[in-house]
Amino acid sequence: MYGRRASQLLKDFSANEPGQISAFDTENFDQVIKECDAHHLELQALMRKIQEEGLDIQTTRNADHYGAVIHHLALIRNKRCLMAYVYNRAEIIQSLRWKVGPVLPQEVQEKVSYSEEEYFKNHSAALESYMSEAELDLTVDMVPPKDPYIKVRVLDDIGDVFLSDQSPNLARHSIHFLRRTDAEQFISQGLMEELPS
Amino acid sequence: MASGSEEGLGFGNGDGDVDVDVDVDPSIAMTTDVELLKRAWRNEKAAPEILQFESSLVQRSKEQIQLMEETVEEYEGNGTDPLTVSLYQMDLDRTQFLLRSYLRIRLLKIEKFATHISKTDSWNRLSEQEQKFTKRCMDDMEKHLTQSVLSRLPYGYQSILKQSISSEEDDMVPEPQLDTFVFCKSKSSLGAIQLDESGEEFEDLVADDLYVLRYKSVKPLIENGQIDIV
Repeated sequence: MYGRRASQLLKDFSANEPGQISAFDTENFDQVIKECDAHHLELQALMRKIQEEGLDIQTTRNADHYGAVIHHLALIRNKRCLMAYVYNRAEIIQSLRWKVGPVLPQEVQEKVSYSEEEYFKNHSAALESYMSEAELDLTVDMVPPKDPYIKVRVLDDIGDVFLSDQSPNLARHSIHFLRRTDAEQFISQGLMEELPS
Repeated sequence: MASGSEEGLGFGNGDGDVDVDVDVDPSIAMTTDVELLKRAWRNEKAAPEILQFESSLVQRSKEQIQLMEETVEEYEGNGTDPLTVSLYQMDLDRTQFLLRSYLRIRLLKIEKFATHISKTDSWNRLSEQEQKFTKRCMDDMEKHLTQSVLSRLPYGYQSILKQSISSEEDDMVPEPQLDTFVFCKSKSSLGAIQLDESGEEFEDLVADDLYVLRYKSVKPLIENGQIDIV
């Protein structure tokens, strides 16, 4: 059936947890592109046939016309599905810029296409130039602050660091009481976790 | 509209019949920038489309944040009671969060609706920097979609704005849902508000009551600040 593969592409996409991205389905994607070309060929053949029969292409309403319409609509539907697939993935990639910073983690990088990776870089640069013009880093302070200090557990050996009010040794598994603004960068990199206080 | 002379006599609201005039809201005159920022933030957060950029408010907030930072630093230096310092710090953190979150929400909306914003009068609601950001968003997304999909489609189906060459209007541009419902609260009695285009449904807006209305129907009132969304 026309358009089935394209809708399957989207069904697979939406089966993911929200905000999660799975590997770019190159195989099905390319198949749908091929379907589009096939529809286009059929469409053109039917149009030609109508013309060869000496009929007016604008007003003819015979079987060939409706056949052509079906190919046209199937093509449009495929296009919408492909666009939705790429667009929705791009939205997740956008949101990653806010969550994990300017570098894609290895496990995500394996799943995105070349163009998606490039898009992430470009978009990331756009955001950075906005932030530098606004003279504000918008990627910190993602949650409303309750207390200026939070309790955190260090998940990886970070070592000695200089923070705004202390210079603790952030050894693995140690628990610290840090300024939220200091801790946030480590938390977003996955090096620390916040403990319920 | 109303004279300020009635302020202070506002105890007798019990008669419940206050649909005549807009009282001058005493809170407006006294509102601090933080309050205004909070309001702008709340409205922006709840509105489906992008609102007017509060340019001077953002500027003032930035200056105040800087001032507060200096104050906190000074207190830390001269041995002021740590509790006092930490209270100032908390205040500072909260204001900074509000400002950042406000700008962030706007950017998220731009990311989502860049093309739509650039084609409508929403464009004029953006700050200059946001306009630049919008352009780059559009360019990057267009490049990405062209590379991944559009350039591989047959001729006539390659437009990013139209489904095919035979579409008369741009029918592939994501738009904000203006029909959505918002919770809103009026600061003063506004009388009957028309809720739909047919002009049949009216709702009487009473001060400080909570309403759930279509965003579209209250949009002008939000824009001129007569009601807030929560």
